[in-house]
Amino acid sequence: MASPKAPGRRRRRPEINPKKKRAVYKFAEGETVDYKDVALLRKFMSDRGKIRSRRVTGLSPRRQREVALAIKNAREMALLPYTSQRSGAPQRSGGSHRSRR
Amino acid sequence: MRSYELMVIHRYDMEESDVRDAVAEIEKAITDREGTVKESNFWGKRRFAYEIDHMTEGFYAVITFDGDVALQETLDHSLGLLDSVVRHKIMRKSK
Repeated sequence: MASPKAPGRRRRRPEINPKKKRAVYKFAEGETVDYKDVALLRKFMSDRGKIRSRRVTGLSPRRQREVALAIKNAREMALLPYTSQRSGAPQRSGGSHRSRR
Repeated sequence: MRSYELMVIHRYDMEESDVRDAVAEIEKAITDREGTVKESNFWGKRRFAYEIDHMTEGFYAVITFDGDVALQETLDHSLGLLDSVVRHKIMRKSK
């Protein structure tokens, strides 16, 4: 039994999700994802050329699917890379390269 | 009739005027088979995101057109046979 330290006041629970999820880019209502819009699609890719996960992009399931498909189509036409080693960037020393959330 | 969007990449070592002629020829092939060209955009020379057959760039062109499935199929087939076309893609255009 919890000791009734402050009567009438509930003990504050640690907040579970203090940070609200934020989308990288907010799509308008009727907006379609175009595979030719390379600048937009790059927002949903890592600098290595990988498609960012939904956890990172904060997109709805449907949007994430559309974006992923558009990126794959753009890759076929060599508008976007499948992979790219950033030659200028220094080699990351092991571990997770997702340093920030 | 369906709406399609065609993207073609021509070889980089062609003359730009030749590429424009080739694109015009594709448009003619569409209209000859009861299709209608709605929009045609010539992007010009563009770098590839990765190397294709030892090429690093190519001429891009995008044509939106209406046509039957048969037109789309023949177009897809004949573009695949052309040596001057590095890559092509035909997609359904949703409204």
